[in-house]
Formats: sequence, C-alpha cells, structure tokens
Amino acid sequence: MLRKIGFASAMSVITLSSIWSASASAEPMKVVASFSIIGDFAQNVGGDRIELTTLVGSDGDAHVYEPSPADAVSMSKANVVLVNGLNFEGFLKRLVEASATKASVVELTKGIEPLKMQEDEHGHGEASGHGHDHGEFDPHAFQSISNAKVYVKNIADAFCAADAAGCDTYKANAEAYTAKLDAEDAEVKAAVASIPEEKRTIITSHDAFGYFEHAYGLTFLAPEGISTEAEASAADVAALIKQVRDDKASAIFVENITNPRLVEQIAGETGIKVGGTLYSDALSKADGPASTYIDMMKNNISTIKAAISGS
Amino acid sequence: MKHLLSAASALSILAAASLAHAEEKTAWRLFVSDQAASVVHAIDAQTGERLASFDTKAPASLYRSDSGRTVFAVQGKGDTVAVISSGIAFGDHGDHGDISVEAPRLLDVSFDGKKPSHVVDHGGDIALFFDGEGKVRIVDEANVLEGKPAIREVATAAPHHGVAIAMGDHVLATEPNFEKPDELPVGITVTDRSGAKVGDINTCPDLHGEASSGNLIAIACAKGLLIAREQAGKPAIDFLPYDATLPAGKSTTLVGGRGLQYFLGNYGPSAVVLIDPKAKEAFRLIDLPTRRVHFVVDPIRAKYAYVFTEDGNLQRIDVVAGKIDAALKLTEPYSMDGHWSEPRPRIAVAGDRIIVSDPLRSVLHTVDASTFERTADIAVEGKPFNLVAVGGSGETH
Repeated sequence: MLRKIGFASAMSVITLSSIWSASASAEPMKVVASFSIIGDFAQNVGGDRIELTTLVGSDGDAHVYEPSPADAVSMSKANVVLVNGLNFEGFLKRLVEASATKASVVELTKGIEPLKMQEDEHGHGEASGHGHDHGEFDPHAFQSISNAKVYVKNIADAFCAADAAGCDTYKANAEAYTAKLDAEDAEVKAAVASIPEEKRTIITSHDAFGYFEHAYGLTFLAPEGISTEAEASAADVAALIKQVRDDKASAIFVENITNPRLVEQIAGETGIKVGGTLYSDALSKADGPASTYIDMMKNNISTIKAAISGS
Repeated sequence: MKHLLSAASALSILAAASLAHAEEKTAWRLFVSDQAASVVHAIDAQTGERLASFDTKAPASLYRSDSGRTVFAVQGKGDTVAVISSGIAFGDHGDHGDISVEAPRLLDVSFDGKKPSHVVDHGGDIALFFDGEGKVRIVDEANVLEGKPAIREVATAAPHHGVAIAMGDHVLATEPNFEKPDELPVGITVTDRSGAKVGDINTCPDLHGEASSGNLIAIACAKGLLIAREQAGKPAIDFLPYDATLPAGKSTTLVGGRGLQYFLGNYGPSAVVLIDPKAKEAFRLIDLPTRRVHFVVDPIRAKYAYVFTEDGNLQRIDVVAGKIDAALKLTEPYSMDGHWSEPRPRIAVAGDRIIVSDPLRSVLHTVDASTFERTADIAVEGKPFNLVAVGGSGETH
C-alpha cells in the first residue's frame, strides 16, 4: 500500500498539465501509450487525429522495460500520456522525471474495481523470504473485457479534455469500438461455457490472468508472481507442481513475454503438454495472431479451448 | 536498488504514519584509492569523516558491485583483488526497503592471479579477469561476503588484456589476438557451464570497453558495438555498427545509463557519444570544450551524466537533449598529456552530491547535484584518485 500511495502522489504532481489545443495546430495530437495493448485502444479511439508512440511494443514486457532517452524525448513532446497504473509500469516515474513532460499522464485503470494480489496462495509473500517489488493490487486489469471498456472510456475522456474540437470523433470511435468489445466479451463467455467445469484449471508463466479468471470463471495457476521480474523459487515450483497434480490442471501455456523454460519444466514433470502461447501483457507483431486487443482475446480463448479439448 | 531509491521520498512521507517504529535513514560512503600509495580509504560522504583505511598490496582501481555491498580493489601490480564490505546493505520488502549500516571492513578473502584488470557484475555473479593468465574467475557476491572462494573459472586461449561477463549459465569472454598477443582482443566467445563453446566467435576487432544498462550489455569494437542480451536463457549478441555520419573514431570506454537505457562512450579525445541501441539514430556525438578526463552517468537523476574535462570543469550532460547543459569549474587544469595513470580527477555520485577527486590538491570536491553548485570539500591525505560511492535510503527497525 505504501508504494501505491507513493505512486499516486507522484501522479498528482505530473498531471498538472497544459491542455493542447487542436485548433492551434493542424498537427495531430501527440499521444504516448505505455505498452501495446493501450496503444491499440488509443488508436481505435483516436483514429487519424492522433500521432501515436507506443513505448513497450509488441511482445515487449512492461514489467522489466528499460526506457531510453528517445522515449524521454517522445514523452517530452506528448500532449497526452496513457498508462495502465496500479504500478504496472515500473519505469514510469523516472521516465516522467527525465522527460519533464507537461502532458496529462492518464491512468486508465481509474474507475475499475482492482483485484487484490493473491500472492499468499502461491507462497510469494514476505514470509517466503523473497518479497517482491509490486503493489497491493493486480495491475493486469485489461484481461477483462469489461475493464477494457473502462480503459476506452477513459481514453476518450482524456482525448476530449486535450482536444475539445475532436471530442465528437473520439466519442463516436469509442462507441463503435466498445460495441466490438461487447461482441468479443460474449464470444469469450460462450467459449468458457463450453468447457466442462472440472477442466477449467490451467497453468501459465506468471500471474497475468487474475482478471480473466474473475470475469470468465477459469482458474489460472502460475509459478511466477504478478511481475515477470519476480523469479519463482524452487519451493514455489515444487508447490505448484503439487498443486497442479492435486487440482488436475487441464493445460499449460507459455506466454509471449516470458521465458518458456519454467513452463516447459513443469510440463515435463507433470506430463501436461504445453498447449500453445497466450498473449498476456503485450500484443503480437503485426503478422502474428494477436496484433490487436480483440485478436489477442480471440487467440487466447481459442488456444485455451483447443488445448483443453485435446487434453 | 533503483526501485528503492525512487521510492525513498514516498517512503519518508508514509513511514511515520504507518510504521511507528521504523525510521528513514540515508547513508552514503565513499571508497577512495590513492594514485601512488597502497591504501583505500572509507569516508562518510555526508560528514567527510574517515571511517577506516585499508592497506593493499599495490595501488588499486575500485569497482563497486551492483548491490553496493562490496567494493573490489583491483591491484594490477599486486597480482590480487581484495574485497571490502561496504557495510551498507538493503533489503527489499516489496512495500518498503530496509537499510542496514555497519562498519566497513576488509574481507578475509582475496582473489590472486597475474595482472587482474576488469571486474564486471551481472546479476550478482561477478567476473574477475586476470590479463596475465587470460583467466576469468566468477565469484558470487553472497559467497564473497562469507569469505568463500571463486565458484568457477573459465580459461581463455592465452594471456591478454581482456574482460568477461557472467550471464546466467554462460560466460562471455574476450578472444585474444593470436597473431599479435599484445594487441587488443578480436572478439567475444561464449561458454556454457561445462566450459564448452557456444556458437561461433562474435567478431570484435580492437575490443576494449564494456558496460551494462538494464538488460543490455555493450562491448566496444573498432567499427561498432556488440550488443548482448539474455534471450530464452541464452546470450543473444548483435553487432551495431557506428553510424556513417560519425567522424573517424571509436569508443574504448563505456558506461551504462541507469534509469534510462543508453550507453555513454568516449569518442576521440574531445568528445563523448550517446548510444541508444533501440533508436533509429543510435549515436549522438557531443563535442567537449577540451579533452576529456573522466565520465560517469548519474544513477539517480536518469537525465544526467557528467564529464570532467582537462580545463578543470565538470560538464553536465543532458542525455535526453543530447548536449552539455551546465559546466562548473572545480580544479586547476589537468593535462591529458603524459601517462594514462598519472593523477587526474575521477567522478562519483553519492545521493544528492557529485564527488570529484582532485589528487594534486589532496581533496574531494563536492557538488550539489540539484543546484549544480559547489559545496564543502573533503580533505584526503595523499593523492585521492579512483573512487566509488555506495549508499541510499531505507528504513531501519
């Protein structure tokens, strides 16, 4: 909780911003998105009225991202900066300081109901002797589509505040995109409903799917913590293997942003076949199966369903 | 450490309210070796008080570990590396960081070998390179603090002036120039835990200079840089050629950015080059008013790096803008003419102060990092030369 309040305090300072006016310039509004999923949301809402820079690109891991001086330059020129919040972007505070940006820094998780971390179940608490450097809440809120709709609304509001002339466009774009999100939400729910309840426990590399679990009713187990930076200990892995056997997990998956070795080790020791790649915190490259948020959700649920069906 | 420092101000606000028994403490220490004498001094950076002096076999070059718990005193002419416990340690407790402060002490462990040269810490595995043997000794910092010896050795093909980097299960080590053994290495060879070579040599003629920044390691070559990173448990190494727009030259010394990912290298006698391997324009040359003496990055204020120039000025570089944004006169001129090891200033950053050694006047100059103005000098006997700073803020219980 200490860290969360500290971050919020920093944000309150850096959101004292000047408002960019589209009428003062024919230039598109300069928007910086912290990582690829937010970048996709921003492009859907902003369309051609914005010039988008995404810091952590496709297949990139925001947990361990190291911003560059060029990122600081992008940040310094931005009119709006879109971030997840909930301590997801560990690099943000130092990047904001280095860039001295005057832009609004908008936390898109504002208004969602944050889930508390479930570390203790996996032995990641301080008592395990290797306390990790993350906040009280799980930051991966975008893994629930209803939360994604909140992100989109927050983006539209931020764009309207910075560019009143484009507000109608942003709202219309957000509305159209939200309709697509609703359709995808229904699709994911239907897919989960088709999976027998006793087969809804699966394993991933790190705890990125808490909101997906909460929204759709699958159970995810993971050897690493909320952050990919927190490596699993041998005891964590042993406990997970036991849990996998006790809970009869149906499938195991690698993630596009994490080293597959740990998952492969667990697969080897439990006899569960690796069911494919899930996209957790980053989209795929343009020619991959998850180059947009909606494609990511489609890919993830179809990969899960196919692996469980084959198990 | 990085997270700990950035969280320090928030912690200070909240500590009293939430943890009545916890106190915020800041401690910084300087370790200073002499240019001519075989001694290392430990100095409280805040008070200037000398805490201890440690005799060595020969004049030492100092390297601090990433954690700051140890300082390695490399004695090329003494054929040994001594290790000092800084006495400052941090414990990361997720929502807060603890600091523990004890007396600095010379550890009862040393690493002997012919002509030790470079020390490189990568994730707590510290590689010591011995030029006179062409050997690498990998030590684990936690073991060293307990007085335990090196955990493994890697032998290169011949004695040479080299460097090595431990990377998980692998070691990157320089490949000597067989035809001209006295000249610089010609590349990097990767070996696994069994000592077997992995892949082909990564060609890098005239190799000299290495640094890490975040998850990247840069190694300077005649025509560009090797950029190494860990990928799926193995080193992945790419070549980044110098940009054609740069004048003739190369880097032979690199330092790695902290907080922002970049490298700063020398480039000719009167310039430095900012290197951002991820950017389209990866190289930005910054001309200096005179020849360069020493340069470092600011590990706390990510936007800044510092270069000391032979006109006696400390130059502050804004690495985002890519230019010198302030200069401060600190010493009389120090000419770069003469032998490389003659007494000349060195720079270190200790929290909110920049420290510059002035060996010919036997003082350490201190500069307020936020105002970039001089503050009190610290007197040190002899010729204070090589220095490192260790410290930070945390809670005490």
